[in-house]
Amino acid sequence: MLTKAQLLKPLARHRGSAVVVTCMSVTRPWGRYSSSELDFASADSAMGHTADFALGIALAQPRRKVICLNGDGSMLMTLGTLATAVGARAANFVLFVIQNETYELTGNQPIPAAGRIDFAQLAWGAGFPRVHSFEDRGEYEKRLPDVLAEEGPVFVAVRVKRGSEGPISRSGKEFSRYLQVSIAESAHRLRKVLASSSPRRRGSRPGGLE
Amino acid sequence: MTLSARSVLEELKACGATFCVGLADTALSPLAALLENDPSVRFVPVTREGEAFALASGLWVGGQNPVILAQNTGLLESGDGLRGTVQRMRVPVLCLITYRGYSSLAAKDAPAPSRPRVPDDFSRPSLDSAALITEPTLSAWGVPFGFLKSNADLPKIRKFFRLARRESRAAALLVTKNMT
Repeated sequence: MLTKAQLLKPLARHRGSAVVVTCMSVTRPWGRYSSSELDFASADSAMGHTADFALGIALAQPRRKVICLNGDGSMLMTLGTLATAVGARAANFVLFVIQNETYELTGNQPIPAAGRIDFAQLAWGAGFPRVHSFEDRGEYEKRLPDVLAEEGPVFVAVRVKRGSEGPISRSGKEFSRYLQVSIAESAHRLRKVLASSSPRRRGSRPGGLE
Repeated sequence: MTLSARSVLEELKACGATFCVGLADTALSPLAALLENDPSVRFVPVTREGEAFALASGLWVGGQNPVILAQNTGLLESGDGLRGTVQRMRVPVLCLITYRGYSSLAAKDAPAPSRPRVPDDFSRPSLDSAALITEPTLSAWGVPFGFLKSNADLPKIRKFFRLARRESRAAALLVTKNMT
């Protein structure tokens, strides 16, 4: 089982020019390792809708990799998005499900079927062509660059230790840059950033798909 | 008076729509069928309508101009998705919403749109309970809406598209009959 740091640090190193959309218990920790203008926090949003939101960016920007760091409780709220992503042939979409088995932000209440549910099997069943499961730090670090370079949609289930992140605000009290403005401002900013930049060419994987 | 799916699609294209997202029902299926074979506007089917609002928000952030297709029952399911994505992020999006049960509201005993609903309204077989709360729900959510009843209403597509863009918000057109 990985810590959040063991999950996020390598991802920050290898994300390239990918958009990274976070939610729930990794939102604040991600801000410790990245301050990219291509980061988006799905906080103060609608719980369960992070994956579909990130999928929309992926479909809009087919030449850029889009990585979604979804929670397990959030994924359960919209399992249908697994089928939507497959149906939409989102080749540049990488969907992580961070398995801590709880709703951490509200006090670590267990998710339904905690300890028994297999998200990788759900993704296989939905038709994801690339599915990975990690619970060993070394294996994750070793394989991550190749996983991010795969043609997708790619599904990655990672077992992480539960933490004690509390509710997230969007204010100057948060140290993460992407949490210091409203979600509306974040959305409008990211649209401008994406309109004014194009992903790097082949050779700078994994961000671009050219 | 008919409502032509091809004419609706041409209007959407003229307004710059690049994606349609949602679940097409009987009324919208002629439009969805046209979209399947039209490379200029991509149709992305979803499994539940709440997904459509989040997905459309992502599409817009990514630089596209999405339109949402849903039945009013799906709109009712979408409450938190609409609130937490399109509305919270100030995403301009036009929604074409099938007004299932619209004709049932013409019954003599149907309540006026402004009258608060009571339990008897929902259990009355002559009334469609989804139709009963479609307009009040849109009003409560602050979504401006109009009606797409026939080809004569096609100019409203441009009007509501512009409204959504100008005010960075959702705007809805209620489709009261099956497209042909």
